[in-house]
Amino acid sequence: MADTPTPLEVRNIKKRFGDTEVLKGLSLQAQKGDVITLIGASGSGKSTFLRCMNLLEQPDDGELFVHGERIAFKYTKHGREPQDWKQVVRMRAKLSMVFQSFNLWAHMTLLENIIEAPVHVLGKSKREATEHAMSLLERVGLTHRAKAYPAQMSGGQQQRGAIARALAMDPEVMLFDEPTSALDPELVGDVLKVMRDLANEGRTMIVVTHEMSFARDVSSKVVYLHQGLVEEAGTPEEVLGNPQSPRLKQFLAPKY
Amino acid sequence: MVDVNAWLNDLLAGNKIFTPATMAHYWEGLVTTTQLVFVSLIIGLVLAVPLAIMRSSKRKWISLPVYAYTYVFRGTPLLIQLYIIYYGVVFFDGIQESFLWPIFREAFYPALIAFTLNTAAYTTEIFRGAIKATSKGEIEAARAYGMSESLLMRRIVIPSAFRRALPAYGNEVIFMLHASAIASVVTLMDLTGAARYVYSRFYTPFEPFLFVALIYLCLTFAILFFFRFLEKRLLAHLPSQSA
Repeated sequence: MADTPTPLEVRNIKKRFGDTEVLKGLSLQAQKGDVITLIGASGSGKSTFLRCMNLLEQPDDGELFVHGERIAFKYTKHGREPQDWKQVVRMRAKLSMVFQSFNLWAHMTLLENIIEAPVHVLGKSKREATEHAMSLLERVGLTHRAKAYPAQMSGGQQQRGAIARALAMDPEVMLFDEPTSALDPELVGDVLKVMRDLANEGRTMIVVTHEMSFARDVSSKVVYLHQGLVEEAGTPEEVLGNPQSPRLKQFLAPKY
Repeated sequence: MVDVNAWLNDLLAGNKIFTPATMAHYWEGLVTTTQLVFVSLIIGLVLAVPLAIMRSSKRKWISLPVYAYTYVFRGTPLLIQLYIIYYGVVFFDGIQESFLWPIFREAFYPALIAFTLNTAAYTTEIFRGAIKATSKGEIEAARAYGMSESLLMRRIVIPSAFRRALPAYGNEVIFMLHASAIASVVTLMDLTGAARYVYSRFYTPFEPFLFVALIYLCLTFAILFFFRFLEKRLLAHLPSQSA
């Protein structure tokens, strides 16, 4: 373990939108096999934090290391930018993201969605990518939907398809941005089951979620964010079982 | 009992308008119209794709010139554009001595240029709208999966915009077919030109103009069915189409 570089590390990430400082210096380290869940109220900055990790949002300050490689930044009149976009493209290919609203490419079938980035970004052969994609579709239980377009699938199917698309990249780290929030309650279970399986097989995952049972049962570390700062972090037993701060206690209190 | 054959023979025997000679005019007109519309649409389409990408650029110095071009060509009548190009080209110094003159001397090429520039302007705006309507989430997903900006354009934005633009572009094709009728005012023997010729020979307005109207109608329906077929194949992914 010691000689394999840390898959993802971020230090002191800061981000502001206009006058509001959304992230006030957040750090996180994901070791291989870690499942880190980020929890917190809406507006606490957890999604923004996740989007800073693959630079869909540009942090105003802080450092990023992907697989031990430091991402270089420069300052322009538009603010802070990555120095070399090719490096960003390379680093993004190692992190794959699953979105709240799935974001499958609507003009492609599910199978085409899954092989798109492996073929055109990683340069795999179409045949190899298709074989891999079919095995992934089997894992997420969607073999029969390979030729379907996203609009023809249910939300749960789309999200499982999006997870297959993420897996097709053989990512170092998978980033999940509230993957079940846009789903009907009866479809959440299937998606969570796939995510549990991934966690059990040792995938490194960072998950923004409101599913407390998932955070409790699956994650190796839980981070509670409040107003752009880490309020509490630790094992699920510590953070969820024995919360210290009154705010976290209130956040976890049953709401009925 | 009416003898249909004899009646038909009588009718055609008395007919001086639909003769092999006038038919040859109509045929020539149909060929000219088809060439003019088809070639200008193809070149216009090829020009419109890069222009639409430039028009969507965030950099003002790239998008503004394209905007000025589409603004002028969509904001003025096609007939005026045709007049300017057809009558104006003579006034370029030396053009009559240059190798270009045999091309510009004929009405076909100035008309082709005017039609091409006009349809390219409209098609650019159709595409720009379709590019702008690309789902933000899909673009974000492409970025998150390591696509460079050019790959993102080529694989995600253009293919999906192309499909979205298809119904509007089908209308543009039909519009161009109908607009091509004005080519006859610069002496071009297109379908309308042929009808005008036959009209002036026989002084019968209804036969020639209704006849070419019928041909335009058939062409329009052919275009309509072609685009309906394309939409069925290419827009299968849109929920509103499959429903």
